Amino acid sequence: MDLTRILQILSTGLIIGGIYALIAVGLNLMYGTMRLLNIAHGELIMVGAFITYWLYTLYGVSPLLSMILVVILSAIIGMIVCRIIFLPIIKTSKSVAVLESNSLLIFFGLSFIFTNVASLLWTADIRGYSYMTQVVQVAGVPLMYNRLLALGISLLVCLACYFLLQKTMLGKAIRALIQDREASHLVGINVSFIYMFSFCLAFAMAGLAGCLLSMFYEITPFMGMPYTIIAFIVIVLGGLGNIFGSLLGGFLLGLLETIGVSVTSPGLRPILTYSLFILIILIRPQGIFGRGVY
Amino acid sequence: MRLIEGFHVSKNFGGLKALQNVDFTVEQGEIVGLIGANGAGKTTLFNVASGSYPPSSGTIRFKGENITGLKPYQICQRGLARTFQIVKPFLSMTVLRNVMIGKLFGKDRLRHREVAEIEAHRILDLVGLSSKAKIPARELTLADRKRLEVARSLATNPDLLLLDEVLAGLNPTETVEAMTLIREIRQGLGVTILMVEHVMKAVVGVCNRIIVLHYGQKIAEGMPQEIAEDKAVIEAYLGEKVEL
Amino acid sequence: MGTRKHLLGAVGLVLIFLCLWPLLASDYYVSVFLDLLMWIALTASWIILSGYTGYISLGHAAFYGLGAYLMAMMWTQIPYVFAVILAGMFSAGFAFAIGFPFLRVRGPYFVILTLGLTEITKYIFINLEIKLGGTVGRILMMTPGLHTLYYSILVVTVMATATAYFVKNSRFGTGLFSIKEDEDAASALGINTSFYKWLAFGISASFPGMVGAVLALRRSYIDPYTVFSPIVSFQVIVMAFLGGLEDVEGAIVGAVILTLISEALWARYPYTYMIILGTVVILIVKFMPLGLVPPIKSRLIKAMEKES
Repeated sequence: MDLTRILQILSTGLIIGGIYALIAVGLNLMYGTMRLLNIAHGELIMVGAFITYWLYTLYGVSPLLSMILVVILSAIIGMIVCRIIFLPIIKTSKSVAVLESNSLLIFFGLSFIFTNVASLLWTADIRGYSYMTQVVQVAGVPLMYNRLLALGISLLVCLACYFLLQKTMLGKAIRALIQDREASHLVGINVSFIYMFSFCLAFAMAGLAGCLLSMFYEITPFMGMPYTIIAFIVIVLGGLGNIFGSLLGGFLLGLLETIGVSVTSPGLRPILTYSLFILIILIRPQGIFGRGVY
Repeated sequence: MRLIEGFHVSKNFGGLKALQNVDFTVEQGEIVGLIGANGAGKTTLFNVASGSYPPSSGTIRFKGENITGLKPYQICQRGLARTFQIVKPFLSMTVLRNVMIGKLFGKDRLRHREVAEIEAHRILDLVGLSSKAKIPARELTLADRKRLEVARSLATNPDLLLLDEVLAGLNPTETVEAMTLIREIRQGLGVTILMVEHVMKAVVGVCNRIIVLHYGQKIAEGMPQEIAEDKAVIEAYLGEKVEL
Repeated sequence: MGTRKHLLGAVGLVLIFLCLWPLLASDYYVSVFLDLLMWIALTASWIILSGYTGYISLGHAAFYGLGAYLMAMMWTQIPYVFAVILAGMFSAGFAFAIGFPFLRVRGPYFVILTLGLTEITKYIFINLEIKLGGTVGRILMMTPGLHTLYYSILVVTVMATATAYFVKNSRFGTGLFSIKEDEDAASALGINTSFYKWLAFGISASFPGMVGAVLALRRSYIDPYTVFSPIVSFQVIVMAFLGGLEDVEGAIVGAVILTLISEALWARYPYTYMIILGTVVILIVKFMPLGLVPPIKSRLIKAMEKES
């Protein structure tokens, strides 16, 4: 295998890994602070993708601009969903276990609502558009501008997240909440605000990921689920509640997946992904999220 | 006879040494107290003895049989029952049904619901919950939930009962009632008791013997009087001499 | 008690009615009832594990699809009845094989684990079909008539509901409910929780296997995308939650209500139907987690107690 091929695999892996990181960090943020397992995360990606698609196809709006709109819109959706559906049950849930299970079911229902509203509005057809497809040579590897752009944006946002969490008061409060909810209440952290913020940020990052993805992948109302599964793999591997773990884990998984597919075949990708998914849930380190004491 | 014996029982959680080479025995008919500061390893010892998890090293023998590493249900069926520090009632079920479960699945392994019901009523009488038999467990007060916890474990017909801080959260009257119940369990039912407790007055009032744990190690063992005066125990846990 | 005889009589009447239905109704309505019975069978068997122990499974579709594919492979080579039974046994066997490691996972992680199971089964079959035949999807020829299929499903449904009912009222069922209430306490009281969950899982999986086998013949065409679809699992969940997770009556009520809605909407507005399902789930989980049947049942019981 020559150097060009290796570099190509690496670059593809990093590009897709950046998107995985975006998706996983959002999901993990939601879980870490609120114990919510958002199995509808992929659908937010889908929404972001479709908004970008329509804005470009109908009005010629560049995805660079749509990005901003998508982020805002996703955050607004997050705010509505959080306020109406989840904040009440977080307050009234008898236990964490009940909250986790109930919220999972609610998200499952939301997932179906999102996919089918999208199908209703836009049909189930596969769609795509071309944007920034000019190729540029980087170290002998041909890469499209749109993919470089995606990598650039994901890196930027991941760095911004890092900065937020490590260097700001808000970030500190978020990390405190992830560590210990009770104690956070007691030291005066506005827990409800952080819930809302984490929720909206997660949705916004998912929407952004969808916007980026739409530039070089086809989109359908049903595109979301595989990304949700991948996000779960990343956050379990990186550690539930460990935001930096998801950041690194996203890139790592992107690389692993690209290498794996290049060695085997594209058709096996879902099987590999789900096998990994099932294995890590079965073997998961008990201390992180098991309720059993083994 | 020695009902339960632990040899060099150790338990590590990652780097944390919760139990270090603890030897302990309980003779049939005793009421033994297990005391120590929070984090001393008392509940860990209970969890290891009752099968929640195996020890990292060491063995536990119950009625002469090596029970190290057995599952909780297997240990229960051999006659070792336990209560939980934070009580775990079956909230949607009635008090009676809670206790019946112990009868159906414990050492007696009763097959028929009617017999189990009669036996369960008997236990409810003993603990003083007869009048509340048909009430869902979620409507009970804390004191009654603790009674239920004890009743349910008793229903499994144990030879040895591990009581984990059964007096925590009870007011003085309830504490006295609980102490009477504990004595009655030993006297009337012939059940041996090993109890973790922080309420020293109760421990010295009810126990034949006391074992003291500190940072996972056994630092003292003996009669209440000896323990109350033991310098190491006073320094580690009691703070001052306990008046008997 | 007099009420028990009344109930038995009512059940008997319903059974007779269902047996006579193909003689009374047109093919279209026989078809509708076939669907209804199928969903009752799926939901009633689902609650044996998920309703009674609280281990919510999204894997029911995996066994359903497995049964369908088994039938596709065995059809015309094995007598019909044997094929259905084998499909059920194989599905149960598969559940038993994966049961122990799977059921050590608790709570929401079990939910997404079973989702992963259904998905991976789907992709395995897609890949297998492409490797073996080049195309995805199987056609079954010379399938039995509607009435045969109807009676087959009726038998499976009766077995499923009877099993769910008798399990609930047995010692085994008491153990399962104890696991749902507090698994650690149940274990400490002498219940072999691992075995009980495993057994419930396997028993529960046999019925979707049989249902899938019969439905494969009904549709005459199956492909992994439809038989392993999360929509199957999702509908079962909605029906169970709507009617009440812990009772067979709940499963029946939920299935009836949803079949009615789907009859009205599915053919022309499938997306709207799914949106309604999604909304129903959210509303039920938030406001009526016990379902419709339990509060009605307790009111009925109180009313009957007042009379006696």
